[in-house]
Amino acid sequence: MVTSANYFDQLRKSRVWRSIFRSGTGASTLHRSLVIQQDVFLHLFPTKVRRRMLNIGVTWYLGTLTFGTFMILVSTGILLMLYYHPSVPQAYSDTKDLQFVVTSGLFLRNLHRWSAHAMVFLVFAHMFRVFYRGAYRPPREFNWIIGVILLLITLLLSYTGYLLPWDQLAFWAITVGSNIASAVPLIGNKIHFLLLGGNFVNANALLRFYVLHCMILPLAAMVFIAIHFWRIRKDGGLYSHSSQPPAISDRSAPKEDR
Amino acid sequence: MSDRKDFIAGVDSNAKREPRRVVFVTRRTSAQVRVTDEEVVQTFPEALFRVAIAIEVLAMALVWIALGFNAPLEGLADPSHTPNPAKAPWYFLGLQELLHYFPPTVAGVLAPTLVVIALIVIPYFNINVEAEGVFVKDRPRRLAIFYVVAGALSLFLLLFHVYVALVPTLMIVVPMLAAAYSSAESRSPVRRYLASKPLSFWIMTWFLFELLALTAIGTFFRGPGWSWVWPWRA
Amino acid sequence: MVLGLALESVVEPSKHRRPSLWSQLFGDPIRAFGSLSLLLLLSLAIAPSKDHFSQWRHYQNSYLKMIRGRGDAVTLRRHFQAGIQQIWIPELGVVDRCTTCHVGVKEAGLTDVSLQPFRRHPVMPHDIEQFGCVICHRGQGAATTVEEAHMSTLAWEEPMLPARYLESSCGQCHRAPLTGTPQLNEGRRLMARYGCAHCHTVKLPEGGSLEAEDDAPSLSHIAEKTTREWIYAWVKDPQAYAATARMPNFKLSDEEARDISAFLIANSTPISGDTFSLPTAAQNTPSDPTAGASLYGESFCATCHAVQNAAGNVVGGDIGPELTRIGNKVRPEWLAAWIKNPRVYDPLTAMPHYRFSDAQVAVLTGYLQTKSDSEFLANVHLDPRTPEQVAHGKLLCTEYGCASCHEISGIKKAENFAPELTRIGSKPISQLIFAAGMPHTLPAYISGKLRQPRAFAAGLKMPQYNFTAAQIDAITTALLSLNERAQTLPARLSEPLSPASNYQPAGRAGQLMNDLACFSCHRINGRGSDLAPDLTWEGSVVQGKWLEEFLRNPNTLRPALIRRMPKFNLTADEIATLSDYIMTVYQTPSFDRESMPNSGYPAVLVEEGRQLFYSKYACQSCHIVDPKADKGYIGPTLTEVGSRLNATWVYHWLKDPQALRPGTIEPNRNLTEEDARALTAFLMSQKESARQETRK
Repeated sequence: MVTSANYFDQLRKSRVWRSIFRSGTGASTLHRSLVIQQDVFLHLFPTKVRRRMLNIGVTWYLGTLTFGTFMILVSTGILLMLYYHPSVPQAYSDTKDLQFVVTSGLFLRNLHRWSAHAMVFLVFAHMFRVFYRGAYRPPREFNWIIGVILLLITLLLSYTGYLLPWDQLAFWAITVGSNIASAVPLIGNKIHFLLLGGNFVNANALLRFYVLHCMILPLAAMVFIAIHFWRIRKDGGLYSHSSQPPAISDRSAPKEDR
Repeated sequence: MSDRKDFIAGVDSNAKREPRRVVFVTRRTSAQVRVTDEEVVQTFPEALFRVAIAIEVLAMALVWIALGFNAPLEGLADPSHTPNPAKAPWYFLGLQELLHYFPPTVAGVLAPTLVVIALIVIPYFNINVEAEGVFVKDRPRRLAIFYVVAGALSLFLLLFHVYVALVPTLMIVVPMLAAAYSSAESRSPVRRYLASKPLSFWIMTWFLFELLALTAIGTFFRGPGWSWVWPWRA
Repeated sequence: MVLGLALESVVEPSKHRRPSLWSQLFGDPIRAFGSLSLLLLLSLAIAPSKDHFSQWRHYQNSYLKMIRGRGDAVTLRRHFQAGIQQIWIPELGVVDRCTTCHVGVKEAGLTDVSLQPFRRHPVMPHDIEQFGCVICHRGQGAATTVEEAHMSTLAWEEPMLPARYLESSCGQCHRAPLTGTPQLNEGRRLMARYGCAHCHTVKLPEGGSLEAEDDAPSLSHIAEKTTREWIYAWVKDPQAYAATARMPNFKLSDEEARDISAFLIANSTPISGDTFSLPTAAQNTPSDPTAGASLYGESFCATCHAVQNAAGNVVGGDIGPELTRIGNKVRPEWLAAWIKNPRVYDPLTAMPHYRFSDAQVAVLTGYLQTKSDSEFLANVHLDPRTPEQVAHGKLLCTEYGCASCHEISGIKKAENFAPELTRIGSKPISQLIFAAGMPHTLPAYISGKLRQPRAFAAGLKMPQYNFTAAQIDAITTALLSLNERAQTLPARLSEPLSPASNYQPAGRAGQLMNDLACFSCHRINGRGSDLAPDLTWEGSVVQGKWLEEFLRNPNTLRPALIRRMPKFNLTADEIATLSDYIMTVYQTPSFDRESMPNSGYPAVLVEEGRQLFYSKYACQSCHIVDPKADKGYIGPTLTEVGSRLNATWVYHWLKDPQALRPGTIEPNRNLTEEDARALTAFLMSQKESARQETRK
């Protein structure tokens, strides 16, 4: 074990490694800060967080889990796209072929579908948790609005994906849902037409939903997720003014280190 | 938040010239430091690894669900054959349940639009920033408004026979009444807790209850022709 | 980077003396991350490994194991292809992966294997590669698991077709009868005979709709024909009157039957003109059972009409109504008028206008009157009809759709009276409402509907037929062939039914042929029945003199057959008209009738023909030339063939019978020119006069 660790240390000290990860080796605070600061993705996070906010009871990690489902959905979704044609009725037989001939195809579809449901559920749960913690309060009010936008994007993502298998379930769920759009006063029918690319759910609607589901909405979600994370850092980290701050007025002893 | 508020923190209207955060010391008490600097840890590795673990646990759970349960798939889409009932995805079933009672313009357009607007304005809602119990100030007037609004809403739901939405409404009205007749000085900790809750809390909780009730009923209790069915008798 | 740190921390010496396994693996976030990553990877590996244990791999492995010890193992192994196999026919929408598990379908050598899925397919007229499997067997061809492929699931409602209905799949493309599909043919025949299409619309893919064999009798003049009491008893239970009655049982209540009978009698109008009156002679002549029975027999009434004999068997043809209790039904004066000339009452009847004398009419009327059952109407006592009953009866007739089959003045035939059956064979199960305790499959639904239509719900209109189990299976087969695929088949594969001919002979002869109902037995230019020979080329076949004689006094040609041309008592003028028309118009374009003489062949040639007839070709095994010696009863008797047939026809017939009459059982013996000429000469020497000479 020791030798393998040494080899790994050697690797991390190599020129190639250092050219990729500039933070270098070491467990010092500086090195660990550099890991965050020098990474294009990780620098969305603050370098330091309050230890208290790491407890499960505070946030229940709902935002993290929502992001987790999103990553699962992106990775399974990309794999599913390899087998899918957004055309009628090929879409349906592609879904069938996923089940019957594609190796692990059914598993991919299951994972995608259940993760999508989980994501919708987690987004709602996250929203209510944030509300009850009061974490939407100034200066985080704009991040709350980003969250509302992300909620809508999530619902649209799930809704557009619902049509893609082109089965009875999909067709009628979308028909029922899109008919609601017609109820908008004055421009309802125009919205309905724009949404479906026609007056009925047909091949045009399928293509439109496919582009929305695989291209436009995921990109929008990624942009807003980035802003959402960035704003947490800029607004002072996770909101900590909860009902039980570890205040000196609290008679309880300071919590032990984990 | 059950603590009594000794100070109010806010943003000054003229933030450019003045310091951004100001503490106003009220006449009631003298200033007192209640929060020290919190202990902080490095995001890497402390937070990032916890995040990764949370996501891995979730992924594992979903993988096992995906292994065990197949995603639903029905026959090829057939525009000439409408299934009965034709249900939307589960997260829209609350809306579909409302559509059963109200015209589409109300249930399908007005209601969700209002919900979204309400969600957006929450952080800008004045009462909410104060985070003060809804009946703490100006109690008689607010109580009167509450009676009128709650009564009108209940009557409206009753008239349209929307009992599924009436029940969650009453479930909120009752504790709100309890809150109205409680104060920070009440004996019972429950009543003290209720009394401290601001208006936005009550509205959001009402929304949560309605969402849960309508979605559950739309998902499990609706059969052919959107008639009431008992899921265990199916 | 992250993983590196995890490793780094794992190898860090633990501070604790005796770390438990739990704290070793999940003690701190980094350890937990490492362990969980491993677990997650393991979980992710389950799905691909599940694929390795799939059902089709299991079957392919069993197949390889099965063929290992066989003598033809090398051949079978060479034919075997591992992996998912697929027959893809985009034109038909076929993606069949059945052969993935059914590996031995095309292996002719696997005759001894009865174990599924390795059984070989029986010999069939189509190539699997061109048609796939699901076109005939249904089921879900794309599936690769046993349940999904064979059963009905939420995502595929068409399970495998039970073998007993398999012929319905032939009917998707072949809409004309096939020799290999007796059940389907029978089902279609029954559908036409029982008039399903009177109420249910069945659109044909080639255009037009399915039609019933015939229309039910018109009820516009019913009061002339029968009594209200008989109508009452009949509509209550048609089969009680005649076991073979085609009208179904509507399960009417006493009141409903009373009101319908009241309406029908009240609604009836007298037949126009005074031709419909009882012949005077009939009243005076006493009925004579023996004379009646023999006239009934001589006129071949039994060819079309059946009678139930003492043993309970129904004997006779099914073209006309059963006559077992005809005496209970019709008024004597109507019956006499009908026998005299049925076309007065019903211009379109299939019954010929026999030219009976008044005395014969009286005899036959009297004879038929005796065919009655004294108990049949004994318990029917109806009070005089009231206007309310008539009005209610009209309402009932509209509701039950009586006008769909019968012509009733005052009630129009309802359009789309019953559900359309054009695509009944692919109706989704979710759209069906099953009766209690019934298997939820489409064949069960259809056969249930045929067995007991009213059992499905209260208030259904479809009446009760009393089909046998075999008939129900046959009709179910025919109905299952009416499906989506039959409607959307590429034109290349569709074999439509040739449209019914509406050929109508011209002039006076045409009127005469209608009057004699020739088309009830004979077929000409595609119109008519196949009970008697096709007359399309009759003018080329027979000699005019023989034809005139035959019309004057028909006698049977084939001793083995019981059906025979009736004697119509035609006048000389009528015979001349008919004979002229047939000899002139019904000639084949393929040869000239006059190109060979009908007599005067040299004796040598005749003798050579005789040798060929008896020795080389052994024609006497089917035909009779010498009634004393020959015993052939399969083909027509040839004793007088020289007076009957044209020599040209005989010659061409001998050369290639199938060219003249497709489907005839006469074998094509590939005769040489000389043999054919000699045989023709011999056959043409078989004349009535010639035989009389030899007898002398």
